[in-house]
Amino acid sequence: MSAPSPAVELRHVSKRFGAVAAVEGVSLAVRAGEFLTLLGPSGCGKTTLLRMIAGFEIPDAGAVLLGGADVTALPPHRRDVNQVFQSYALFPHLNVRENIAFGLRMQRRAAKEIAARVGEMVALVALEGCEERKPHQLSGGQRQRVALARALAPRPAVLLLDEPLSALDARLRQTMQLELKRLQRQVGTTFVFVTHDQEEALTISDRIALVNRGRIEQIGTTQEIYHKPATAFAAEFIGQANVMEAEWVGNEPGFARLRVAGIELRVAAEAWPAGVTRARVSIRPEKIHLGKTRPLGGSGFEVRVDEEIFKGATDRFGLVTASGARLIAMVANESALREAIHAGDRVWCAVHADDIVVLRESGNERGQPA
Amino acid sequence: MNPFRLLALTCALLAAPAARCAEQLNLFAWSEYVPQKVIAGFTKETGIRVNYETYASGEEMLSKLLIGGAAYDLVQPPDYIAEAMIKNKLLRPLDRSKLKNLGNLAPEFLGLPHDPEQKFTVPYLTGTVGIVVNTEKVKEPIRGYRDVFQPKFKNRIVVVNDNREIVSWALVTLGLDQNALTPANLATVRPLVAEWIKLVKVFDSDSPKTPLLNGDVDLGVVWSGEAARLIQENKKFSYVLPAEGAHPYVDLLAIPTTAKNVAAAHRFLDYVLRADVSKLISDEFPYTNPNAAARKLLSPEQRANPASYPQLEKFNTFRDIGKAAAGVDKLVTDLKSAK
Amino acid sequence: MRAADTSAQRRPGWAAWLLLTPLLVWLLAFVVAPAAILVAYSFAERDELGRVGFGFSLENYGRIADATYVAVFARSVGYAAITTAICAVLGYPVAWCLARASENWRHRLLLLVMIPFWTSFLIRTYAWITILKSEGLLNGLLLWLHAIATPLELLYTPTAVIVGLVYAYLPFMILPIYGSAEKLDPALIEAAHDLGCGPWRTFAQIVVPLTLPGFYAGVLMVFVPAIGMFAITDLMGGARVPMIGNVIQDQFVGQARDKPFGAALAVVFMLLFVAVYWLLQRRAAEREPA
Repeated sequence: MSAPSPAVELRHVSKRFGAVAAVEGVSLAVRAGEFLTLLGPSGCGKTTLLRMIAGFEIPDAGAVLLGGADVTALPPHRRDVNQVFQSYALFPHLNVRENIAFGLRMQRRAAKEIAARVGEMVALVALEGCEERKPHQLSGGQRQRVALARALAPRPAVLLLDEPLSALDARLRQTMQLELKRLQRQVGTTFVFVTHDQEEALTISDRIALVNRGRIEQIGTTQEIYHKPATAFAAEFIGQANVMEAEWVGNEPGFARLRVAGIELRVAAEAWPAGVTRARVSIRPEKIHLGKTRPLGGSGFEVRVDEEIFKGATDRFGLVTASGARLIAMVANESALREAIHAGDRVWCAVHADDIVVLRESGNERGQPA
Repeated sequence: MNPFRLLALTCALLAAPAARCAEQLNLFAWSEYVPQKVIAGFTKETGIRVNYETYASGEEMLSKLLIGGAAYDLVQPPDYIAEAMIKNKLLRPLDRSKLKNLGNLAPEFLGLPHDPEQKFTVPYLTGTVGIVVNTEKVKEPIRGYRDVFQPKFKNRIVVVNDNREIVSWALVTLGLDQNALTPANLATVRPLVAEWIKLVKVFDSDSPKTPLLNGDVDLGVVWSGEAARLIQENKKFSYVLPAEGAHPYVDLLAIPTTAKNVAAAHRFLDYVLRADVSKLISDEFPYTNPNAAARKLLSPEQRANPASYPQLEKFNTFRDIGKAAAGVDKLVTDLKSAK
Repeated sequence: MRAADTSAQRRPGWAAWLLLTPLLVWLLAFVVAPAAILVAYSFAERDELGRVGFGFSLENYGRIADATYVAVFARSVGYAAITTAICAVLGYPVAWCLARASENWRHRLLLLVMIPFWTSFLIRTYAWITILKSEGLLNGLLLWLHAIATPLELLYTPTAVIVGLVYAYLPFMILPIYGSAEKLDPALIEAAHDLGCGPWRTFAQIVVPLTLPGFYAGVLMVFVPAIGMFAITDLMGGARVPMIGNVIQDQFVGQARDKPFGAALAVVFMLLFVAVYWLLQRRAAEREPA
């Protein structure tokens, strides 16, 4: 019972906009000091979740807690959270220093303290020399840093970031991702980050909450989310996946035997839910091992190489099974196999039993076309 | 529709009335001074179309006439403006042979100083500037300007917003000639005008009866026509010609030298001089009608209205003062500012 | 050679001039020409009849320097300043609420701001007379409520003039501020709230500074016409205190019949406008070095 309160806790919150349910019964706990990402496609409700934490939206049902205290009815200016806005929302009439000092001034801190803190923040985001510039005199990346410094200056318990990198070009974006992560470790503030970019989410987060159609599809560490996707949506949204229908055909010691696209495969017995005959499974493309010869142990299957796409560090192969099902495989370019496999070849595939992930159906996917 | 046919049709529509009423008359007169009935009657009788353009002051009329944008056939100047126009040869001598109703006018309105030989102008309506009293609120007798402009009536007085008028009242009150607007005289009346202006609540030339009717003020020095309407509306109002000297004015009809439709202008002049037509004017605008024949057609009640037909002994009208107007203007502006 | 080439490129081609022609003609006919006539008049003299005789004399400007007219100018500016201040205080929150209202409401409320323009200005002024007169609606209501024992003197007072001016010009303050406020990124307001700024401080620290261009436009559209307004001072103020508009009007169509002097007054008035405009522009430029 002495476990510390989560930095942010949502309890069964729902929010509708007219006829549209933006968020439906979401519960979520963000641990103090972690970097949590709300990841999902546009319109999934992730921004609404963030806005409810900030106080810009009041949930129709449920409660919002910050550090264990119910803040559901508290207006934004009385919540100990600050936000970095997608558009940065820097005050155009104030210079960099004044922007960063804004939150501190609102807290009526002493001038000396404000000056010291602003100096500290300017150094933190490496903007020395730009203090007197107005936002329109800054580059996109610089504005982003000012927005960050402004939100961090009052030392909020939680920092909310609403797709803060989406306006930056790809290269700058990658730099900023790493910088954000470094910064978060340095200041130790709880970060709640919203993005629709799965790569970004994987790069910077400690944990990811995958949001789809107003619900949380899966929550877990980046490793868990990637390697153990819970649903077809999770598997396909993050990275690439071969998602296929599987039919249970029997058990053998330690394994369940499945028929997938006309091929017999095995998964660990405990991975298959008892009493279920059909489910979908996911296999990551890089987990399909290709070889010219039949693998030992007899778990391999033969496919035809339909297409090959050079992707730099990796190669992508489109495969067709004997029953006509299509698969994707990814092979690192260090592999000696690279020279040996070409479109039109017949090759052997091998998949480790642990790499076949059995999926559950999404709660809100029923009745919807997959 | 074919655009050419549309164009042709439009042209035809525009041309039709112009063709029917080839003859027309451009009348430039005071706003709310020529009844619509009179204009319609004239057009019906003669087939001459009347374009009635209006102005709010004699000075405005003169300005527009001098700019010469439009050729007016008939204008309606007050006496002192007519005098200036005659002096500057802006009016055309009338053809008396075409004005057979001229005899309807009462002799006292003819041969006045602005047009001594009655060569250029025909009196239309005349009036006086006098005192209106709300007898329900003001019980004591009011005889002249001195009775009106008393400190106890402060903020209970409306006067016409006319700088020359107020200065002329002060001149006659001090026994000076109302037309002698010399710098010396202006200096003499300055203290009196200053005192009076402080007492006035409303200056309004367009509708001085409004604040009296609304109960915002109880006394007024206003145009007699306004007073006559007040009396028509409510018998509590009475009209008094100031004992210091009443100031009458005559509004005239005249033909500018630039007129194009001189014959039509004469026909209109003769038409409004007709007793039955002139009566229609009196019915709508209860000023003093100089048309003796028309007066006979008025009801006893109309003739008994003290504001329409006061007992006036002498005709002492305004004369043209030329550039002296600037001095009057500055004096009153200055005194109003000092308030 | 190169410099000549680039300047030739910047110069508008014949097509651009053709497109600009209607605007240029309009400007020439309705802005440049009248202003030029006014300036020419202001140095002229009048004759006995009030006709303008062209010549060159500074006498008209000399007359303006007279204490009488300086006082009239000062009073006009004072009334206009008070009007502008009241319009700003009333108009800012209204414009802000309009800009923040939902789409549906915004259109309805904007319509309410505009509706008075559908009626003649004079009729609306007479409506105020009906409200403010001694036996008017307001006094009637107060008497009926026993809030007062005798009717208040409302009409034909400086207060009535200010009421009339504020009423007439308020929409001209609301609309430009609304135009500015509507364009304001709502995220800025959220950012301010987020950083601990309450609604009032947000209004003062964020909304007002960022809608200043609209406010300045509003000031220009209220202050300048309010200086020259004469109908309201006549109708609601009883023409007791002359404003510059009354004096100018009197020179052109009134008894004074002194167009050159009126023109000189109008030129000074125009210079006043230019000065106010220039000051506001400079302030705006200082705030936002583009």
